[in-house]
Amino acid sequence: MELSDANLQTLTEYLKKTLDPDPAIRRPAEKFLESVEGNQNYPLLLLTLLEKSQDNVIKVCASVTFKNYIKRNWRIVEDEPNKICEADRVAIKANIVHLMLSSPEQIQKQLSDAISIIGREDFPQKWPDLLTEMVNRFQSGDFHVINGVLRTAHSLFKRYRHEFKSNELWTEIKLVLDAFALPLTNLFKATIELCSTHANDASALRILFSSLILISKLFYSLNFQDLPEFFEDNMETWMDNFHTLLTLDNKLLQTDDEEEAGLLELLKSQICDNAALYAQKYDEEFQRYLPRFVTAIWNLLVTTGQEVKYDLLVSNAIQFLASVCERPHYKNLFEDQNTLTSICEKVIVPNMEFRAADEEAFEDNSEEYIRRDLEGSDIDTRRRAACDLVRGLCKFFEGPVTGIFSGYVNSMLQEYAKNPSVNWKHKDAAIYLVTSLASKAQTQKHGITQANELVNLTEFFVNHILPDLKSANVNEFPVLKADGIKYIMIFRNQVPKEHLVVSIPLLINHLQAESIVVHTYAAHALERLFTMRGPNNATLFTAAEIAPFVEILLTNLFKALTLPGSSENEYIMKAIMRSFSLLQEAIIPYIATLITQLTQKLLAVSKNPSKPHFNHYMFEAICLSIRITCKANPAAVVNFEEALFLAFTEILQNDVQEFIPYVFQVMSLLLETHKNDIPSSYMALFPHLLQPVLWERTGNIPALVRLLQAFLERGSNTIASAAADKIPGLLGVFQKLIASKANDHQGFYLLNSIIEHMPPESVDQYRKQIFILLFQRLQNSKTTKFIKSFLVFINLYCIKYGALALQEIFDGIQPKMFGMVLEKIIIPEIQKVSGNVEKKICAVGITKLLTECPPMMDTEYTKLWTPLLQSLIGLFELPEDDTIPDEEHFIDIEDTPGYQTAFSQLAFAGKKEHDPVGQMVNNPKIHLAQSLHKLSTACPGRVPSMVSTSLNAEALQYLQGYLQAASVTLL
Amino acid sequence: MPTLDVPEERLRKFKYRGKDASMRRQQRMAVSLELRKARKDEQTLKRRNIIDSCPDPASEKPTKEMPVSLTLGEIIKGVNSSDPVLCFQATQAARKMLSQERNPPLKLVVEAGLIPRLVEFLKLSFYPCLQFEAAWALTNIASGTSEQTRAVVEGGAIQPLVELLSSPSVTVCEQAVWALGNIAGDGPEFRDIVISSNAIPHLLALISSTIPIAFLRNITWTLSNLCRNKNPYPCEKAVQQMLPILFYLLQQQDREILSDTCWALSYLTDGCNERIGQVVNTGVLPRLVELMTSSELSVLTPSLRTVGNIVTGTDQQTQMAIDAGMLKVLPQLLRHAKPAIQKEAAWALSNVAAGPRQHIQLLIAHDILPPLVALLKNGEFKVQKEAVWTVANFTTGANLDQLIQLVHSGVLEPLVNLLTVPDVKIVLIILDIFAYILQAAEKLSEKENLCLLIEELGGIDRIEALQLHENRQIGQTALNIIEKHFGEEEDEGIILLDQLLDQDNEIVNASQKTSKAPRLL
Repeated sequence: MELSDANLQTLTEYLKKTLDPDPAIRRPAEKFLESVEGNQNYPLLLLTLLEKSQDNVIKVCASVTFKNYIKRNWRIVEDEPNKICEADRVAIKANIVHLMLSSPEQIQKQLSDAISIIGREDFPQKWPDLLTEMVNRFQSGDFHVINGVLRTAHSLFKRYRHEFKSNELWTEIKLVLDAFALPLTNLFKATIELCSTHANDASALRILFSSLILISKLFYSLNFQDLPEFFEDNMETWMDNFHTLLTLDNKLLQTDDEEEAGLLELLKSQICDNAALYAQKYDEEFQRYLPRFVTAIWNLLVTTGQEVKYDLLVSNAIQFLASVCERPHYKNLFEDQNTLTSICEKVIVPNMEFRAADEEAFEDNSEEYIRRDLEGSDIDTRRRAACDLVRGLCKFFEGPVTGIFSGYVNSMLQEYAKNPSVNWKHKDAAIYLVTSLASKAQTQKHGITQANELVNLTEFFVNHILPDLKSANVNEFPVLKADGIKYIMIFRNQVPKEHLVVSIPLLINHLQAESIVVHTYAAHALERLFTMRGPNNATLFTAAEIAPFVEILLTNLFKALTLPGSSENEYIMKAIMRSFSLLQEAIIPYIATLITQLTQKLLAVSKNPSKPHFNHYMFEAICLSIRITCKANPAAVVNFEEALFLAFTEILQNDVQEFIPYVFQVMSLLLETHKNDIPSSYMALFPHLLQPVLWERTGNIPALVRLLQAFLERGSNTIASAAADKIPGLLGVFQKLIASKANDHQGFYLLNSIIEHMPPESVDQYRKQIFILLFQRLQNSKTTKFIKSFLVFINLYCIKYGALALQEIFDGIQPKMFGMVLEKIIIPEIQKVSGNVEKKICAVGITKLLTECPPMMDTEYTKLWTPLLQSLIGLFELPEDDTIPDEEHFIDIEDTPGYQTAFSQLAFAGKKEHDPVGQMVNNPKIHLAQSLHKLSTACPGRVPSMVSTSLNAEALQYLQGYLQAASVTLL
Repeated sequence: MPTLDVPEERLRKFKYRGKDASMRRQQRMAVSLELRKARKDEQTLKRRNIIDSCPDPASEKPTKEMPVSLTLGEIIKGVNSSDPVLCFQATQAARKMLSQERNPPLKLVVEAGLIPRLVEFLKLSFYPCLQFEAAWALTNIASGTSEQTRAVVEGGAIQPLVELLSSPSVTVCEQAVWALGNIAGDGPEFRDIVISSNAIPHLLALISSTIPIAFLRNITWTLSNLCRNKNPYPCEKAVQQMLPILFYLLQQQDREILSDTCWALSYLTDGCNERIGQVVNTGVLPRLVELMTSSELSVLTPSLRTVGNIVTGTDQQTQMAIDAGMLKVLPQLLRHAKPAIQKEAAWALSNVAAGPRQHIQLLIAHDILPPLVALLKNGEFKVQKEAVWTVANFTTGANLDQLIQLVHSGVLEPLVNLLTVPDVKIVLIILDIFAYILQAAEKLSEKENLCLLIEELGGIDRIEALQLHENRQIGQTALNIIEKHFGEEEDEGIILLDQLLDQDNEIVNASQKTSKAPRLL
């Protein structure tokens, strides 16, 4: 491809087409460009266009195309061809910096990105001139150019903040420091001087401050890994200037915008970060500057307004103080009572106030408000920072701080009392202050778990929280109601039960509040209270205690779902689920309405499922209704089927992917509830479940396997008699699952159910093929998980079909195979089996092999008899071997296919752990002893001699223990 | 865009697999790649002789030095003259110039080409005063930059200086020791020339029970420079020659001698296990451990460093350090007022923790966890870093009981707090520690309690925030922890379910429920 006008013209045409909204024009153009991008000069043509094209749109388009081209092709991947020819690479590197600096901003940004991509690969070794070229531009005096350079430098160096130390990285940093640190320092000083000479020129100041921000960011990157010698030697220059900048204000730089942070705020924020970096990492060297910074930052906080644009600055600044005040050797900076008072009064209290922005979020964006307030996603907020500072100060000054705040809390409460409708925000702040002061440790599950003993939480609850919640009007002062409910929620483990009991009807009442936040909090608080545990791990509240409120509780919960904005409120749905679970039989009188409402909800949301948590709890609630009702009256299952199947059919027919796994689980539960043979309605569904398309989606697999297992458990005879032609399909599913490292265990679940439940003659013809498939997988890609499942399976087989059958099927595939399996798999790997039922299956299976398999006694396999016994005793007595070979560590990540609906397991559709051995064998150790005894009576003398000659001493001792416990001896 | 080096990431995952404990030991970085200023607590590399009064080798009577009386031109002229007296005067003037406290004109003197003449003067055994002045002048030149030291070496000074070690004049001899020390201190290249010029036997021969203490200090310092530097290390023969005398010097009481001897041993132990073995086998450990209790920082620092180096060695070498009592001393060093000592002690500790479980057990028995946790909480960052490494090594090597004790010691709280520290490696290690402990708790069925504890400490918030970290490895590790251990609280539902089913069906594995499991919390 030549650098000719004709080519430029063609390229321009195609670029133009890539902007066309019509895909029929756009796609071919994109394809074409991709097909020619391997040619020499292609990138240079793009660079020419972005510099010289007459059409601004084409310029920008060329720059974006160029950046993407670099992104895709610049990196040289080992064993792959170099996608950009060397001459182009050299030409690009020679021109791009100049080009970037002389381009308008839109294009500059693209080129700057391209430079950082190239820099990531080539800098410094293959791009040695870059630094000098950049540094030389510092002297240009043109701050548009300088800012371009600084921006590029920032994109190149910012990785020093998050990459691990390595020789390569540090060599690069050293190189950068040598070339860059001094010019940067000089530029920093010069820029600050220019700021004072241009103190009255707003537009000049804006550019200069942009430079200062970038310089401060570069400072952070260059100082991140370790404190460089240069910066240690020049600390005074930097810190003095940083300090000055922190205290600087200039009317010209103040912005009117209330939301967006201005240059001054951005710069100060970055300086706080820089100071925090030094304070945290280079304490020894920074110590002498620190007190000044504490003072400056504190003054900054005192003088900064409440506007949103200051939020980042304020929270950074507070976090700085918080991190310093808990260091023992700086506590003297804070310990003076006046200092503490002043910090509390001027820094903490103002930042805890409920601001206009919070009020707006409370009303108009309640979901976000709840997320921040309840789930702690408030990391960067002022309130959070202020809370952290309270906690930091309490480390050394809990007493004085509590004292100071108690005074504030009282005065704020008095203000409120004077005129609640005007001063309600004072009470909000008071509650917030008490909360942050009192809570030392908190979990979602238990609320506050450690509280400040100096705060009387119960008294505050009785005097200031309960009265608000008792007021007749649930819609009055919604913020205070929300505060009060939250107080109950988080201090539920501190407030005595008798007070909590009182609040339950109040909470139920607040489910009717119009405010989304208030009724959501009420639902959440109820849900939390219902999960609390008392002594004996029973729920703190009993169904009997809630009984008086059952009807109103259920009514209000479902009514809350009809309030505007809450039709898919996950907190309410979770509270419904939890109420069912707590109330148990007490809900049965209402079950008809409940299930109707749930079904209607299900139909409504299945049109467009958008709230995964809500949906999940809804299905849990459905499962609970079924369980609770059918436990009392198994025949009721039919009613549920009647109510639900319509919706289920619709979901399956419309292929509502999110819900299908849930539907299968609920169906499994329903099917298992049937005590007799499988109803024909289910059998009609059976063939459909084997359709490959259903199994394509990973999310379906566990639920489908579960459902097929239910079919096999309840309807194996029906399948064998009426649907025998479907057995190959069933095995086809098994075959597919077994081939995948991620799903092979599911395949084994299915296979085990087939072995356990299907009449042997119905699967006779397939047995050998099943084993061959397993061996193939074993040969091709053996993993620990597969082996564990395989061991469980063969032992189950042994229990079901007999030890001899197992030996025969192995040796039927290939002579001596049985011995190999014993020697290479069972004996060395059995220690890896996990799970009590699984271990029991293996123990009983191996016992059978030892005592009911004649070839073990009188063929070449005999030599394996004692090792097998030894490994069985190991299985009983030794800790599980949970080592995983190194090469398997990443299987989970690599083999989890694609991004599909994750399987969401329903707890209340859960299957009880199933023990196929069951009562047949209660204690496997005794069982072993008895079986050995039986064997020894059949061939007297042999067993004791085999045991005593090669079993190790420890194992022998254990074995004797079993024999004694079983009161048998070996003959 | 940061690129992820996949094979390396995989390797890292296995670092804590506990298969090869020695892999977990941190040696000091082998390369001298540092961004920092050179360490301030290290031993002096080169020293200039600037004392303004000195014994006159002829009269042995201290005379007050006169200021330099000659100009550089006159000096050049004098040095090159054939009159020995003029030579002496000029050399002395040059020496005085080089000994002035501020801005000695090292560069000018080198450029004036005086070195070859000064070297010749070294050989004039009939004129010890001149030998002395020349040796002194050369000492001070050699104390300069590498280039200046090189000029002295290339001027042929080493061999005559070594010969002066047998000079009958003690002052000449002592000055030669000093000069050789400066030359050897420059780096491995010149050190090895000094060694191959047979300096060691001569130096050792000077040591006797009657030697003046100042002289012995000088010799010790020079010996330490002969032990110093790696890439390459001093040859094995030289080390074997020096070790007995270092053992002897270590028994002295003089602070400077002890300090330099310990430094020498620290250099010799800063290497592979064979090197460490040579030193350990001389039986120095008990004395070294004793010196770790010294109130002199200049002795404490290098003795601690040496023992720290020794425990980077084999389990057996570490065992010898433990037998010598190092674990009895470490707790007080972890509580030392100086952060540099805390750091060094924590580093040594981290390598003991990287050892077998018996060592970890000893560590617990010596009550080292409380001061370790205190350092994690309140230490300077560089100290906290070493302490985190210690916890990491402890965690990955410990058995369940030991892990329980670690958690009980309160280690989690400071670890959670350190998750916000601006150091990516440390953050990643802490995440790995959490993952590891959580996994162990799972085995003990104590995961739920541990998760609650971590949540109480504010750990979940921090780990969740780290999922968005720009370092992908950190992001992924945090994500894995959250997904694996802090998923939705479905487990709660399952508990309820279990109860529900229990009511249904009373026969639950009774034997299983009563089985005892050790408790983590």
